[in-house]
Amino acid sequence: MAYQLANFPFLTALLLCCVAGLLAILAIPARHARAIKIVGAVFSGLTLVISIYLFIAYDQQSGGFQFVERVAWIPALGIAYYNGVDGFALPMLLLTGIVFFTAVLTCWEMELRVKEFFALIFLLVTGVFGLFMSLDLFFIFVWFDVSLFPMYLLIAIWGSTRKEYGAMKLTLYLLAGSALILPAIVYLVVHSGAMTFDLLALMEGDRFTPAQQRIAFFLLYIGFGILAGVFPFHTWSPVGHVAAPTAVSMIHAGVLMKIGAFGILRVGMFLCPEGWQYWAPLMAVLATCGIVYGTFVGLNQTDLKYVIGYSSVAHMGIVGLGLSTMTVDGINGAVFQMFAHGIMTALFFSSVGYIYDRTHTKAIAELGGLSRIMPRATSFFIIAALTGIGVPCLASFWGELVVFMSCVRVYPVAGALAIGALAVSALFMLRVVQKTCYGPPLEKFADLKDITAALAVPRVILVSVIVLFGLFPGLLFDMIHTATMHLIGLR
Amino acid sequence: MVPATPLPISLIVTAAALLLPLLAFGVIMLATRSRHRLSAAISIAAAGLSLLAAVYLLVQHWQIQAPLVFQAVWMVSGQMTIPIGILLDPLSLLMLAVVAAISFLVQIYSLGYMAGDPGFGRYYGCMSLFAWAMLTLTVSSSLLQIYIFWELVGLASYLLIGFWFDKFSASEAGKKAFVMTRTGDVAFLLGLVLLWLQLGTLDIPVLTDPAAVGAKLSPGMITLTALLIFGGIVGKSAQFPLLTWLPDAMEGPTPVSALLHSATMVAAGVYLFSRLFGFFSLSPTAMAVCLAIGTISMLLASTMAMVARDIKQVWAYSTISQLGFMLMGLGAGSLFAGTFHLITHAGFKALLFLCAGVFIHHCGTNDMFEIGRQGGRRLKSALVCTIVGAGALSGLPPLSGFFSKELILSHLLDSGHPVAFLAAAVGAFLTTYYSFRLIFIILFPRDADDAPSTKSHDGHHSAGGERSMAAVLWCLAGVTVVLGFFQTPLHDFLARAGTGVNAAMPAHHSWLPVAACMLAAVAIGQAWLEFGRKKARQIGWVERIPLLADLFGQRWYLDRLYRYLLDTLVYRGISRLFTANDRRVIDGALDGLGRSTIGLGRVIDWVHSGMIQYRLMIMVAAVISLILFIGWGG
Repeated sequence: MAYQLANFPFLTALLLCCVAGLLAILAIPARHARAIKIVGAVFSGLTLVISIYLFIAYDQQSGGFQFVERVAWIPALGIAYYNGVDGFALPMLLLTGIVFFTAVLTCWEMELRVKEFFALIFLLVTGVFGLFMSLDLFFIFVWFDVSLFPMYLLIAIWGSTRKEYGAMKLTLYLLAGSALILPAIVYLVVHSGAMTFDLLALMEGDRFTPAQQRIAFFLLYIGFGILAGVFPFHTWSPVGHVAAPTAVSMIHAGVLMKIGAFGILRVGMFLCPEGWQYWAPLMAVLATCGIVYGTFVGLNQTDLKYVIGYSSVAHMGIVGLGLSTMTVDGINGAVFQMFAHGIMTALFFSSVGYIYDRTHTKAIAELGGLSRIMPRATSFFIIAALTGIGVPCLASFWGELVVFMSCVRVYPVAGALAIGALAVSALFMLRVVQKTCYGPPLEKFADLKDITAALAVPRVILVSVIVLFGLFPGLLFDMIHTATMHLIGLR
Repeated sequence: MVPATPLPISLIVTAAALLLPLLAFGVIMLATRSRHRLSAAISIAAAGLSLLAAVYLLVQHWQIQAPLVFQAVWMVSGQMTIPIGILLDPLSLLMLAVVAAISFLVQIYSLGYMAGDPGFGRYYGCMSLFAWAMLTLTVSSSLLQIYIFWELVGLASYLLIGFWFDKFSASEAGKKAFVMTRTGDVAFLLGLVLLWLQLGTLDIPVLTDPAAVGAKLSPGMITLTALLIFGGIVGKSAQFPLLTWLPDAMEGPTPVSALLHSATMVAAGVYLFSRLFGFFSLSPTAMAVCLAIGTISMLLASTMAMVARDIKQVWAYSTISQLGFMLMGLGAGSLFAGTFHLITHAGFKALLFLCAGVFIHHCGTNDMFEIGRQGGRRLKSALVCTIVGAGALSGLPPLSGFFSKELILSHLLDSGHPVAFLAAAVGAFLTTYYSFRLIFIILFPRDADDAPSTKSHDGHHSAGGERSMAAVLWCLAGVTVVLGFFQTPLHDFLARAGTGVNAAMPAHHSWLPVAACMLAAVAIGQAWLEFGRKKARQIGWVERIPLLADLFGQRWYLDRLYRYLLDTLVYRGISRLFTANDRRVIDGALDGLGRSTIGLGRVIDWVHSGMIQYRLMIMVAAVISLILFIGWGG
């Protein structure tokens, strides 16, 4: 039995869960909105269960890629359906599972075109799961695009505040990114001397000269970096977040931005270590710019979602900074921060989403005194803000700490600036908390209801995850470390 | 880091003392927040058990010979191992007992003070959070762990200052406190990271071992890291130049001010200095900076206290000034003097704040003139206890403050810092003056005073609950009276197990106590002349000099300066510049790229418009230019 279980294709099952959910939703007539939501919750819950199982079942002692599945698809071109997960992919799968499930629960009260909305979300998440587990460059590119295109419709149809502009801007940016990634992948495959898209095969031996690696890494860094909100290609992100509906913002900031960083890591750093080394100082500079810049711009925003959008730019800057150090600790911290930021920002958007649904405004100046009116709903927001500030014993703290500690060793100035930005980030978050939650309760919001138990469930899950990994960061660090050692050992 | 004969029982007891408040916090916040009495019971039970555990540990280890270290790994990442542990030595045992005792007493007091407040449950939850963080901070075995709990203590402070978040001033004060201490913590974290890079560990026993540090760090590096860490101390202990958050923090409920913003949390900065005394003393520059900052803060805050009308503000300024005084003692090289003053101060300052709470509770105002007019002197126990506390603060024998103050003064004299000694004497004079100014104002109210009350009552709570409050006051007053006589046992205790306390007591100057008492007597006399005697107009000499009154009343314009810098530099400067850059330059360029792509499309579209005339025209033009080109070339 155990043997059979070990051979069970869990990764494909994960993808099939999404596809099955998608098909089931399409099969249900649109008028049964409630049934669609239940089906959505069940299938997204299943993906969460599988991703938790994978996380636990992964053998950290042996490390490397596990749960590998491989089916040749176009042998002539060396393209295969090739999946496997390591210590980098598993936290991302877990993150996707959590954010997906909670995002579906968050839009429990949604009414507009539920069927189409859920179908598109399922399609999007299929792409995300696929990308995190794929070990074939061709499939990585395909999954990348699969996860991008539903975004346009999701924002343009269900969004708010300049939604057409936001959707178009986001799509164009991300397509520009994929227009850089494809040439890079083709370039690498052509110069590999072997006709294969197999990521692991391409890593073996010194296939690429340093010059080739530099070219390819730069293209990949910018291409994926756009999605990761790397300065100065970040402006799509706040605009997109503002325009997107709550659940899409959660998935977008929580998971999609991680795809960018993960792509840099998985494709760029795995295949082009020399290029990585060459461009690392540039990465550090851009990441530091992102941290300082995002924090300061966030201070001046008047829209709640813009504030969170810019905080994401700053937090993803920390991820970039960690990756640029080229040290074990830096990478560990960066991947941890990817996970922590994903959960935190999902919590952020879901709590802001609730506030917006009730008050119908995101303008900070129009809000105030909400803690008296909806104490539970605002406490989720406050916890998210405290996580964003980097309060210890909440998950983000560890990612930031480890990245900063390794960064000061490699780039002292960048590290000092990033640590200095902590004080400003406190001002930035607490200012928003003060203006929205504190102060005397406003007359116009006096009749609003606090969050119900059902709607609180997804937020409670997110908070629990933040606290769990805040108190026991080792759960995640040990996992990430297996993959980092593997990566650094190769160099 | 060999755990010296691990005594599991000590470990279990300490862990219980630390974790019970955390448990209480979790239970209250998740389950019992709306049930007020139950929440209070849980929190007080946890604090009481922590106190019992702390006292047990203190008694058990009174004859401690070597520090006890228990460490476990919290997290590993590559070269980084972050331990979590407990370090029990005389310093941490004593501080643990002090924190646990004052937490417990203040929580009892709060039963009366906070009764009827709608946020009663939340209040006790935050108090438990604070107790957990602060107790763990005191026994932390590594500097990083101290930093972690240091931040959590800051979080508890933020939540408690802004407890009445309906009030703009309260939420503003909470934010200010958090951001200002965070500014100091940035330096702290930077120093800590640098130290870690050089040493490879942040365990306190290693840090305070001169041989281990000297082997790996250059003197310049020691000074740099010491000064950076000192930045954190400046923020947390509200020293110059980061001192303006503490007076604002008085927006919190009075018991919070007593516990966090006078007795324990702000003393964490000084405690950290004592904890790392062995490290700091390796850098003469850092010690000198510490002495200088302590002196400046002490004098500045004393002057501010002379003109304040708000009773809590006076004690807040006095806290800053006394913390500066402790740092002076430490900076002058005496670990025991600074630590002893920390302990005595924790007792009498908590007492003073809790008495102020009783006055505020009854009179419904923070303004001391108003309190006097409303018959504050009829509150006998609060008045007597205030006098006891103020006497200790002024260093009158035989109260506890007399012993600890005299110790610091004699150290300043012995260690060859005449300027600091003189400053300390001036500070002591001012301290006595403003303390008795307050007492005389409450004791001898004047009717004809045009000044309206500056501040309203700080809560929504009902009167009552006197018994629990009075019991706590008398308890603390008793401590204040007797603590001074335990100087020698405490000294012997602290000198054990190599914490860095000199085994020998300092030389005794027989004239010094007499001189200090005479100085205090003169200050009391001055206060009597201006505020006490029958015909006194109750206007101090400072207030008669408008320039000084304005300067002191405006906190030396530090607040204005910071506000101005924040507004112009941060909000209107960098932040707006970056935002404009984001909108115009980055977005502008990309939107421009989009527009020019569309424009290019139009041009190409026009070329491809398929109109025969244009095509013919272009063909003709091309042929002519070709002919011309060939003609010229040929």
